Amino acid sequence: MAISSGVLSELERIVGTRGLVATPEGRMTYECDMHTFYKGAPDAVVLPETTEQVVEVVRLCRREHVALVPRGSGTGLIGGAMAPVGGVMVSLTRMNRILELDFDNRSATVQPGLINLWLSQATREHGYYFAPDPSSQMVSSIGGNASTNAGGPHCLKYGITVNHVLGLELVTGAGEVLRVGGKVQDQPGYDLTGALVGGEGTLGLLTSVTVRLLHVPEGVKTLLASFSTIDDASETVSAIVGAGIIPAALEMIDEVVVRAIEEGIGAGYPKGAGAVLLIELDGPQAEIDEQSARIVEMCRSRAALEIRVAKDEAERALLWKGRKEAAGVFGRLSATWLLQDAVVPRSRLPQIMREVQAIAARHRLVIANVFHAGDGNLHPLILYNDLVPGELERAKAANDELLHACLAMGGSVTGEHGVGLDKASSMPFQFGDADLAFMARFRRVFDPDGIMNPGKLLPSHPACGESFKPAAPRLPAGTWI
Amino acid sequence: MTVSAPALEEALAEIVGRAHVVSDPAALSAASIDGRQPRWLVSPGSTDEVSTILSLCSTERLAVAPRGSASAMGLGNPPRRLDLVVDMTRLTAVLDYVPEDMVATVQAGLTLDGLAAVLGKHAQMLALDPYWGASRSIGGVLATNASGPLRFRYGTGRDLLLGVRFAQADGTLTWGGAKVVKSVTGYDVPKLLAGSLGTLGLIAEATLRLHPAPVDTGSWLFAFDSTERAGDFLSSILASTLEPDRLAWLNGGALRGLGQPPARAALCVSISTVPEAVRSQGAALVALGERSGGRAITIPATLWATLGEALGAPLVLRIAGEIRGQARWAGEAESSAFRQGLSVAIVGEAGNGILRVALTGVIAPEAFASELVAPLRAALQGEGGSLVIERAPLPLKGATDVWGPVPEITLGVMRRLKAEFDPLGILNPGRFVGGL
Repeated sequence: MAISSGVLSELERIVGTRGLVATPEGRMTYECDMHTFYKGAPDAVVLPETTEQVVEVVRLCRREHVALVPRGSGTGLIGGAMAPVGGVMVSLTRMNRILELDFDNRSATVQPGLINLWLSQATREHGYYFAPDPSSQMVSSIGGNASTNAGGPHCLKYGITVNHVLGLELVTGAGEVLRVGGKVQDQPGYDLTGALVGGEGTLGLLTSVTVRLLHVPEGVKTLLASFSTIDDASETVSAIVGAGIIPAALEMIDEVVVRAIEEGIGAGYPKGAGAVLLIELDGPQAEIDEQSARIVEMCRSRAALEIRVAKDEAERALLWKGRKEAAGVFGRLSATWLLQDAVVPRSRLPQIMREVQAIAARHRLVIANVFHAGDGNLHPLILYNDLVPGELERAKAANDELLHACLAMGGSVTGEHGVGLDKASSMPFQFGDADLAFMARFRRVFDPDGIMNPGKLLPSHPACGESFKPAAPRLPAGTWI
Repeated sequence: MTVSAPALEEALAEIVGRAHVVSDPAALSAASIDGRQPRWLVSPGSTDEVSTILSLCSTERLAVAPRGSASAMGLGNPPRRLDLVVDMTRLTAVLDYVPEDMVATVQAGLTLDGLAAVLGKHAQMLALDPYWGASRSIGGVLATNASGPLRFRYGTGRDLLLGVRFAQADGTLTWGGAKVVKSVTGYDVPKLLAGSLGTLGLIAEATLRLHPAPVDTGSWLFAFDSTERAGDFLSSILASTLEPDRLAWLNGGALRGLGQPPARAALCVSISTVPEAVRSQGAALVALGERSGGRAITIPATLWATLGEALGAPLVLRIAGEIRGQARWAGEAESSAFRQGLSVAIVGEAGNGILRVALTGVIAPEAFASELVAPLRAALQGEGGSLVIERAPLPLKGATDVWGPVPEITLGVMRRLKAEFDPLGILNPGRFVGGL
C-alpha cells in the first residue's frame, strides 16, 4: 500500500525536501533495525526537526490512516524500527540537541535523537553522568533507549532506563502533545511517564526526554576473573549476589565470545578459559575495596584460573571495550545468528546455563554467551549457517526451547531489548488473555486509530484487538529489485 | 438490574463468609471516608474473592473504596459515592520468596513490618519507609505512592514494584510486569497501578524488588541557624561523592516535635554501607556539614522510624518543587503558615524535592484555600511543582481541590484511561485528580 502522491507532497511541505526520503534506494536503508531478519521498508521516511513538524506528520497520517513507525538510531534488536506494513517512518535523528543541563536538580532534558554517550560526555566534566548504558550507547539515541526501556551492564545496580526518566514530551497517536513528569517529582495523577517508557513507539513519538543525572562515584574498580567452566562462573555469580553484594555490573562472557573479542578487538581477555566474569564495583572507595576483597575470595574458592584487577582507567576502558563491542565481533563467529534476551530468576543461573549447553548439543549448534549474569538476563547467541539446509530451523527450535526453559523457571520474555515484531508472538507465553487485553486497551487510549507502529509489541491476537489493517498485503522486501 | 440491600448483603456474605461482612452502623461509621459512610465493610480472604466482589459491584454499580491499614484514607477528594469498603487486611500471605533472587511476591494486605520480619531472617529488606508507620499495608503504600527518607537511594514504590496482580473494575484478575528483577516485556502496567489510588484496579498481589539490608549504618543530624545554610549543605551533599541512603529535612517545628535540640532547620542524613566506608563517608559528611555552618550530632538509627510523629497534625500538605529550591520552599511554607497563625512542622525528602508540611491551629476554609494553598500552588506551578493536601479536615477539603490542577491535555489522557478501565466509575469515584 504505497502512500498517495498527495500524502507525499504534504509530507514534503511539512519537513521540507531535505527532510523527506522517498526514493527506493533511500527507503531501503531504513528497511530493518539491527535485527536484520525482519525487513520492511517504509513508503516514506521523514526527518523532522521540531515537535510541531512531528505533530503535523501524525495528524496527516491519522487523517489518511497511514501507519507511523518511529525510529531513533536503528540499533534495536527486535524488529521494532522497521515497517512491516509500510507507511511513514519518522526518524528522529535530527532532533539531537541537549535542551537543558540542570545539575542543581540532577537532571537533563534532551531531544530524542541525542546519542546516549553524548550526554555523559557533556556532563562528566561537571561530575555527573547518565547511568543507562546499553552496549550500543555510542550510537543509540536516548529516545530509542526510552522507547525500548533499554538496559545495559550497569542496570544491575542502577536500574533500567525507566528508573532514570523523569519526564517526557510525547506526540500521541491522536496527535496531542502530552507533557508529563519533569524535573520536579511526584506530579499528581497517574504515573504516565513510567507507563509510557517502553512503549516501543506504539503509543506515540517522543519529542523530548527529561532524565536523571547521577553523580560520578568516588571510586570504581573493575575485575576480570576467568574460570575453566561456565558452571564455575555461574556459581560464582550466584554466590556474589547471594552474599548481598550488588556490583555495578556483573557480566559473563564464554569461551567462544572471548576468542572472537580477542581476534577482533584485543581487549586482553584470557583465551582458553571456559568463561570470564567482568565485575565492576563503584561507590565509596572503602566500600569497593572491602567488597572487591570478598569477591576475589569467592572467585578463588570457586577455582578461578586468574583474577585481574584493572590497574588504571586505560585498562578498565579496554576491558569494557571488549564487552561493549562484543556485538560487533559476532560476525567473526557466524554471518547469521539469532539472539535471545530472556531472563531467569538470578538464583537459576547455573541451571539455565547447563540447559543452554544441553539445547546446543541437542540441536548440534554452537550457542555463544555474553550477558548480564548478575540480573539473570541471558543473551545466548545461536549461530547458524543459512546455507546449510535445515540449520535455520534447528536454530529457531533451539531459540524457542531456550525461551520456554527461561519461562518455566519463572522468567521473562525480554529483559532489555524489548518485544518489537520479534517477540510479539511470544507475549502469550508470559501473559494471559486478560493481561494482553488490558495492554491493548491501554494502547488504544494513546493511539485510538491503531496507526502507531502496527504489528509491534502485542501479538495479533483476538484479545488484543489489533486494529490496523493495511489495504493490501505487501510484497516481501527485496522483490522489487 | 438493581437488587435489594438485604440481597446484596447476602451475596457479599456468600463470597467472603458472613463473619467478614460488616453492616453494623457503629463499625461502618468508623469506616467512613471524609464523612461518607459505606453500606458495607467487606474483608476478602483470597485474591479470587477480591475479584468476585468487584464483579458483583460492577454488576450492581456499587462504588468501592479499597482499604489497607486505613492510615492514608485521608488522601484524596471526598468520594462522590461509597457503597463498599474492601478491607484487605486478611490478605497477608507471603506467596513466594526466594532470598537468592531478592524478589518477594506478597498479598496486598501484608504490612511493611510483617514483611520485614520475614526478610530480616535473610538480611534483606523492602526499601520503603513511608511516614505513618511500618504497620501500613503494602498495597496501600503502593496505591498511594507513599515514600520516606529511603527514597533518596531506592526510589519509590514505582521503582520497586516488579509485578502486580490486580482486579479490574469488572473483577477480571489481571497480571502486569514480571517476577524477575529485569523485564521489559509489554507495557509497564505496574507503573500505571502504582500511585493510582485504586482508581484503575484493586491491587491484590505485588511482586517486589528487595535489597540487601545494610551491614552498617551511621546517622547524623546537622542543625542550622538559617534555612539558607541548611539548603547550601543539601546542595553540597548532592554535588559530592557522598552516597547517603536517607536524607530528611526538618524545620524547627519538626525538631521540637521530635524532642531534638532547637534550631531553625536541620538535615538528617544516614550512610549505609560497610563499616569502613560508613566511617570514611561519615567523616567527610561531618566535615562538609560543619563547613556549611551546621552543628553535627550523631543520632540513633531508631530516629528514622519516628520522623512521622512530627507529621501527626490533622492537616498535612505535600509540596513538590525543584530540589535546588528546597530551602526556599520550606521558608515559604513556614511564613505562609505563620501568617495564618498556624504552627508548622516540616519533614522533607529534600534530596528528591519533596516536603511534607504539617499544620496545627485554627484556620477558616476560605483563608486556607485562598491565602494559604492558592498562592503556594501558583508559585510552585511556576517551576512545574505541585501542592497536594495529603490529609485535612473535611471543611478544608471542601474549600479546594486536594490535588491541584493538572494540565488539560494530561488530564484528558487520564480521563480516557479511567473511562477505559473503569467505565462505570465504581473504583474510588471522585477521589483522584480532576475528580476521577
